Amino acid sequence: WKKDEFRNCNQTPFCKRARTRAPHSLDAPLSLDAASLAVATDGSLTASLSHPSRLRPLLLRLSALPPHALRLQIDEDYSSNTPPHRRFQVPDVLLPDVEARTLHLPQPKTSAAGVSTFALSSDVDVVVKHDPFELTVRRAGSGDPVLSFNSHGLFDFEPLQESKQEGETWEEQFRSHTDTRPRGPQSITFDVSFYGADFVYGLPEHGSTSLALRPTRGPGVEESEPYRLFNLDVFEYLHESPFGLYGSIPFMIAHGDGPSSGFFWLNAAEMQIDVLAPGWDGASSTENGRIDTLWMAEAGVVDAFFFVGSEPKDVIKQYISVTGTPSMPQQFAVAYHQCRWNYRDEEDVAGVDSGFDEHDIPYDVLWLDIEHTDGKRYFTWDHSAFPNPEVMQGKIADKGRKMVTIVDPHIKRDSSFHLHEEATAKGYYVKDATGKDFDGWCWPGASSYPDMLNPEIREWWADKFSYENYKGSTPTLYIWNDMNEPSVFNGPEVTMPRDAVHYGDVEHRELHNAYGYYFHMATADGLLKRGEGKDRPFVLSRAFFAGSQRYGAIWTGDNSADWDHLKSSIPMVLTLGLTGMTFSVGALTGADIGGFFGNPEPDLLVRWYQVGAFYPFFRGHAHHDTKRREPWLFGERRTALMREAIHMRYSLLPYYYTLFREASVTGVPVMRPLWLEFPDDKETYNNGEAFMVGPSLLAQGIYEEGQKSVSVYLPGEELWYDLRNGSPYKGCVSHKLEVSEDSIPSFQRAGAIVPRKDRFRRSSTQMVNDPYTLVIALNSSSAAEGELYVDDGKSYDYQQGAFIHRRFVFADNKLTSMNIAPKNLGNKKFSTECVIERIIILGVSSGSKKAIVEPGNHEVDIELGPISLRSGSSSVAPTVRKPNVRVVDDWTIRIA
Amino acid sequence: SRPPLDTLGIPPQDEAYFRGGVIRCRDGSGRFARDKLNDDFCDCPDGTDEPGTSACPEGKFYCQNAGHSPITIFSSRVNDGICDCCDGSDEYDSNVTCKNTCWEAGKAARDKLKKKVATYKSGVVIRNQEIQKAKVAFAKDEAELAKLKGEEKILQGLVDKLTEQKKLIEKAEEEERLRKEKEEKRMKEEAEKQAADEKKASDASQEVDSQENHETVQEDESKVAEHHDGHAMSHDNHTPESESSVEQHDPESQDDISIKAAPADESPPEETSAAPTKEQESTPADSEGLSREELGRLVASRWTGEKVDEVSKDDKNEHEAEHDMPEHSEETHEDESDVPESAEDSYAGYHSEVEDDRHKYDDEDFSHESDDEYVDDHDDHVASYKSDDDQKGDDHSDFTASGQASWLDKIQQTVQNVLRTFNFFKTPVDLSEASRVRKEYDDASSKLSKIQSRISTLTDKLKHDFGKEKEFYYFYDQCFESKEGKYVYKVCPFKKASQVEGHSTTSLGRWDKFEESYRVMQFSNGDRCWNGPDRSLKVRLRCGLNNELNGVDEPSRCEYVAVLSTPALCDEQKLKELEQKLEASSNQRDHDEL
Repeated sequence: WKKDEFRNCNQTPFCKRARTRAPHSLDAPLSLDAASLAVATDGSLTASLSHPSRLRPLLLRLSALPPHALRLQIDEDYSSNTPPHRRFQVPDVLLPDVEARTLHLPQPKTSAAGVSTFALSSDVDVVVKHDPFELTVRRAGSGDPVLSFNSHGLFDFEPLQESKQEGETWEEQFRSHTDTRPRGPQSITFDVSFYGADFVYGLPEHGSTSLALRPTRGPGVEESEPYRLFNLDVFEYLHESPFGLYGSIPFMIAHGDGPSSGFFWLNAAEMQIDVLAPGWDGASSTENGRIDTLWMAEAGVVDAFFFVGSEPKDVIKQYISVTGTPSMPQQFAVAYHQCRWNYRDEEDVAGVDSGFDEHDIPYDVLWLDIEHTDGKRYFTWDHSAFPNPEVMQGKIADKGRKMVTIVDPHIKRDSSFHLHEEATAKGYYVKDATGKDFDGWCWPGASSYPDMLNPEIREWWADKFSYENYKGSTPTLYIWNDMNEPSVFNGPEVTMPRDAVHYGDVEHRELHNAYGYYFHMATADGLLKRGEGKDRPFVLSRAFFAGSQRYGAIWTGDNSADWDHLKSSIPMVLTLGLTGMTFSVGALTGADIGGFFGNPEPDLLVRWYQVGAFYPFFRGHAHHDTKRREPWLFGERRTALMREAIHMRYSLLPYYYTLFREASVTGVPVMRPLWLEFPDDKETYNNGEAFMVGPSLLAQGIYEEGQKSVSVYLPGEELWYDLRNGSPYKGCVSHKLEVSEDSIPSFQRAGAIVPRKDRFRRSSTQMVNDPYTLVIALNSSSAAEGELYVDDGKSYDYQQGAFIHRRFVFADNKLTSMNIAPKNLGNKKFSTECVIERIIILGVSSGSKKAIVEPGNHEVDIELGPISLRSGSSSVAPTVRKPNVRVVDDWTIRIA
Repeated sequence: SRPPLDTLGIPPQDEAYFRGGVIRCRDGSGRFARDKLNDDFCDCPDGTDEPGTSACPEGKFYCQNAGHSPITIFSSRVNDGICDCCDGSDEYDSNVTCKNTCWEAGKAARDKLKKKVATYKSGVVIRNQEIQKAKVAFAKDEAELAKLKGEEKILQGLVDKLTEQKKLIEKAEEEERLRKEKEEKRMKEEAEKQAADEKKASDASQEVDSQENHETVQEDESKVAEHHDGHAMSHDNHTPESESSVEQHDPESQDDISIKAAPADESPPEETSAAPTKEQESTPADSEGLSREELGRLVASRWTGEKVDEVSKDDKNEHEAEHDMPEHSEETHEDESDVPESAEDSYAGYHSEVEDDRHKYDDEDFSHESDDEYVDDHDDHVASYKSDDDQKGDDHSDFTASGQASWLDKIQQTVQNVLRTFNFFKTPVDLSEASRVRKEYDDASSKLSKIQSRISTLTDKLKHDFGKEKEFYYFYDQCFESKEGKYVYKVCPFKKASQVEGHSTTSLGRWDKFEESYRVMQFSNGDRCWNGPDRSLKVRLRCGLNNELNGVDEPSRCEYVAVLSTPALCDEQKLKELEQKLEASSNQRDHDEL
């Protein structure tokens, strides 16, 4: 972490200006021109915002999306007194149907006091104060505010200027870099308040051990920097810092006593956000449960969404409804990935591959980092190390496994490199401020960057992934996008200069945070094209933006192999999940297992595997300077522990896949903060150490070396069952548990049914036909339920109905499997011969020896069995032996 | 087709275990009825009840592989759609059809095994030869070490005595110096007094005088040797009186006899410090002289033959230096000087030993080369296949050769002679005798340090673990090389390993130890890596007919591995095992054919 290489707020003029401004102190506060307020033909409300000292008015647009979302847009009014150029509105992030889904708003009621009110929904009103312009979203009945905009009078919108004022300079210096800023100041600032909130969450990506966003300014705040959203390649980043990392999602969720709410500002310029501690504005008594925030962006427009929920999941669903659902990953992508910078050659690859087999450790994907290329020219191979890439991939594929190669956005400026020649000839590179192809420095040396904002260039890029263009690629090869912040080694803050120019005369400053998003999109489109639309792409990206969940997985970048980074990985992954990035077209998130930099202590590595096995995306990775750390290199005992962690993940793959299905429909993440499942349990609100996997499992990492005991809070009123031995623990209690090296504390919630596959194979591919185990944990009413989603694991046929979706319900001593797949999705069908071979029932004392399976009325045995099939496990739970009912069928099993 | 459940996946030797009606889980966790054997449901978490299915994660499946070797695979491989057993028996219930490839695979394996057995057979012969050689060489080294230790003890005694003598001489000389200083001081004072009395003398003339006086002293000093020689000869057989010695040595101070003799315990004046040099300068002349000549020859017989020649040859050179070097065997000098004949002989002896032990020198003819050239040359060879930090005993080898035992006797005798003849109570010190003591001291201590150095070299070598049968003994002075791309990797067992690129050498580690019962050589603590560990190298050893290094690799940053084929690993026991295995597999094939 080289602090000096990165700008802080004080070195960033728009941030410094905005941050030091006192509430209600603006020279030219904007007010709404009541006469201009009208319902437009598309059903939105429009009005002018102006101030007598301003040259031009601004245009306001308010629109509503069901169920309770308000969209606020403010931009220059291009119809009047033409501004010098158009401000950048980020295209391609909002779903195309957002406009179509917009509700038709009623004419607002305007009072004499200059306040207009209209209903957003039956439950939610919007109150617009005209002078100064202020907006409040409130509960219709009680009138309780939920969210407000500009209630502290900090809304400022620097108008575009034709030319510099006398004596004014627009240039900015940072270290040796000059930003010419040809268009002058154009920043936007406003305050947003969340009511009834105990905490706010979101705004990835920052290193943090805290799940909730800590206040950045106000009483009691020591180190005062706002949360920075600016995609950066940060060498050895801090596990605890508000500075920006690889990706940016300007979305915040508030949760507390009141209804949950959220705020999303679609803007790809550098953004800085303050979370203000109570009393920041000098007010002696603050409204109970209100959190104020200050949002500052260097450029762009206001295109913001206010989401009102009752539950936090409602807020996430509404955010997802505008930015898109995470796409369904292939089955293999949910399994274990093995990566290293670098597996050096074909022999190395073969050795690692067989190493897993020799140690009976499953894995699905082997990754190749930058060294596999010919001199960091992506889409090529180092022919001395990888003379036969197709044969190599074929050998891996024979075991049902896949490979991933890296493709970064920096293209080597080498006249013999066809990609460079083509991009140069077609003018496809981002331009510098003088209009020449931008020439930066990255792994290959002098490099240029394709301008991914341009759809034509994305199309061109996508075509590069065809088998014909990408020589040596095969259908089992998938892609990894790294360095797409973009990372420019010799650029300001290790990235592209802000005055570089993109398609449509867009400055890089306006687009920066979305560059990686477009690159990711183009790559995913490439894989989709390659597979003729039948193979779900898998693309891992490091940079991301709102909407990236639609294109692939992301990971938390180059973390370090230390306990603090292990600990911060949980809040980081949870935060990503809250902001949509649980996965998408395989968009899994997850910290690199074992850390990237440094050599982990073997015990740390084991712990990291034990935690990592629960991440949505599960990949071991290492820096090339580190020692080898394949899971069998640390002695038999540790090999066994890591094998067990990976086995556990594989046994839970049916459950994970079902959760990914849920996420791909609703956006509710696979890995969830406890409060997402227990929104009323205050104890959970800032718990960043424990997490839920779906609604049914809870785990907590061990984040300290040699830890002997750990305190684990189990929420809710029901019992929790230890995943290893079935021991019950009371809910709503903090348990002090002894820590063993065998596993991290992990539990199944009473009332949940979890589907598993307990036979381990080389990879998930060979598990397809294996039978299931159901683990039923009965609640206090002796009931439980759970789901299972199954499809072919790779194609899009599921979109036409080719899947199985079952709900298992246990009640009245009877387990019932029912179909919950919606009908009429399409005419494709998916079937499987898979049966359920074992049903483990926790929380029942019945001494029944028999169960009756219907239809067929045949009797099966119930015996005492272990909760997991490991040597030495003791038999603790009644187990229905070989009911052998098919998962596709309806059936009931009655405990006799 | 599904094979019978009661044998499925069970090795023949275990079939009996499963015969009962109720069978115990091997881990003692429970028991199961026979009808639950291989019923595709895991009853024993350790896998006992499901040897033939994939139901238990910890189970093992046995495939007979008729025509090849039976193997045991993880249960996770059973019916997973991938053929693992060459007889295909692991995929009895899956959607793949496995061809039986045991015959081809078995044949290939047998051929490979045959080749391996052949390699081992020849390797064992070479290995045994090497072991025999190593035993002889090891014994030789041990013997040499023992002998050197004996010699060291004797020589140490001599050196101790000479040290004592030297100290006494130095003390006497110091006393003499002080006395002389005093005398001079007194004379000077007297002279000054006189000068003061003589009012006619001018300052200028006084200056000239003193200068002249100084020059005279120098001239006189240069003549001392001649004086001394004559004197030494004449006094050879009696104890000289201090007065006469002083008269000879310093004719100017003849007047001051009474004072000179007095302060015996005072440091001698500074001027006399030049005396020893002069004395030494005179020694060659001594050796041609009277009774001490014998002594001189005795000593000289080891070096002087050439030295005499050389003196005449290099007459023009500065006399002093030329004479200094051979006599005062300070190492720096010796390296520069030519080596006396006797030394050459002893090198020749060592050389022959080298030839015996290290056949790679066979073609080299060192006997025509001087010692220095030999050393250099030796180092050069080291660069290719000998350890180059092996400078050690080469220049000490003159002590090691057989047939040279007499040097010790001679040196003993010489020293005794010196001690016997020297009268160290005499004042002033007999310069000639003092010089001889010093010379003998220097000779002896130089020899001693060489012996000690050789002892330490040998001790270092012998302390190593050369394997159970000393099969790695001949690795000691060997280096092995492998070229991989732009790098040359060099491995010198028991010493170090390095990576050479052009002129730059990177240490991959110093010798650490054998690991895995002599199957791995570990080199550790090499040059540090940026942002990484100290470099290290693991050399995996395997049986081969030649010593060949290959497969150098860097699986983790700065952690290197390599493979060294060597007959040293062609173990007889292992050969027997391989032969048995080959026999067994051939029998099986015969059996299968039947």
